[in-house]
Amino acid sequence: MKLLLIVGIFSIFCVVLGTDNENARLLASKTILNQFLVEDKDLTVQYDIYNVGASAALDVSLVDNSFPDSDFQLIHGSLGVRWKRIGPSYNVSHVAILRPKKPGYFNFTSAELSYLPSEAATEPQLGYTSAPGEGVIANFKDYDRKFSPHFMDWAAFAIMTLPSLGIPFLLWRSSKSKYDGARAKKSN
Amino acid sequence: MSSKPNKKLTKQEEILLQDFSRNVSTKSSALFYGNAFIVSGIPIWLFWRIHQMDLYQSIIFFVVMTLVSTYLVAMAYKNVKFVLKHKIAIKRGDAVSKEVMKKVADDKKMSKQEKEERILWKKNEVADYEATTFSIFYNNAIFLMLVILASVYILKSLSPAINYSLSMGVASGLLALFSTSSK
Repeated sequence: MKLLLIVGIFSIFCVVLGTDNENARLLASKTILNQFLVEDKDLTVQYDIYNVGASAALDVSLVDNSFPDSDFQLIHGSLGVRWKRIGPSYNVSHVAILRPKKPGYFNFTSAELSYLPSEAATEPQLGYTSAPGEGVIANFKDYDRKFSPHFMDWAAFAIMTLPSLGIPFLLWRSSKSKYDGARAKKSN
Repeated sequence: MSSKPNKKLTKQEEILLQDFSRNVSTKSSALFYGNAFIVSGIPIWLFWRIHQMDLYQSIIFFVVMTLVSTYLVAMAYKNVKFVLKHKIAIKRGDAVSKEVMKKVADDKKMSKQEKEERILWKKNEVADYEATTFSIFYNNAIFLMLVILASVYILKSLSPAINYSLSMGVASGLLALFSTSSK
């Protein structure tokens, strides 16, 4: 009797799990593609959604409210996107480009995902993407000091050094050629 | 003792003293300090624009190191000039003699002694001029090269203020040190 009860519960459990596997199941990741985060320089965010379920996910909506207008400016793409359908074992990507307005620490949190796991479903399934975590947005000055080629500045420096080097050299050269020339003439 | 031989010796002594003394005239000194000040000021541009040093915040560093560098570079100018002057005087000696003799050949009133004095004076002047200009050129080139090498390659990981102080100090210090060699 007891054994029958255990087997019965176990089989119901399997059926429930099996039923769940027939629905769509989306896994979403959010990644910051930049190696360096710098004030006033483009920041690229990539969202990847994978459907690991057995059926298509419908009315997929991805919304990212974690970039406040006071701290970021949206340059390309959008922070809210919809897909009508993501088939089983399919994946989709979405990219948005932003520009940080201020330097400092920023906690990059998750974006929100909602979708219908099956055609019969009426209530949307809610989820979150992965969160990249805390990042440092560097000061533009420090970044520029380290990475900019400063061509114009070096050119200006070269022009500034020309009088200090050129004038003494030319004066010495004119005197040398005057007396060296005379000496060469004499030896001839 | 008659005054005439004394006068002749005094003039020759004067020229010899000028020749062998490390002291420079006021005009030369002004030239050296002026050039040293200009060349010591040029790296400020480098650090302001390329190393992004704030001009007003770092003004004390700039002023102090420019003055220290001016003094050391001027010292290097004087030392290098002194060493070069003798070498140049030897090299240019014949050419200068010929030029002066050409000018005073027709002047029969001038004694041989006076002609020789003129040649000596002219040699001294030419050697002084060439040694001064070459010393300034040579020291400027070495100084700027050392500053660039130190600031861009050797000390680049340090903060800009320390980088500036050390680059200028090391460059002008080495310049002054090498100029004291007798070669």
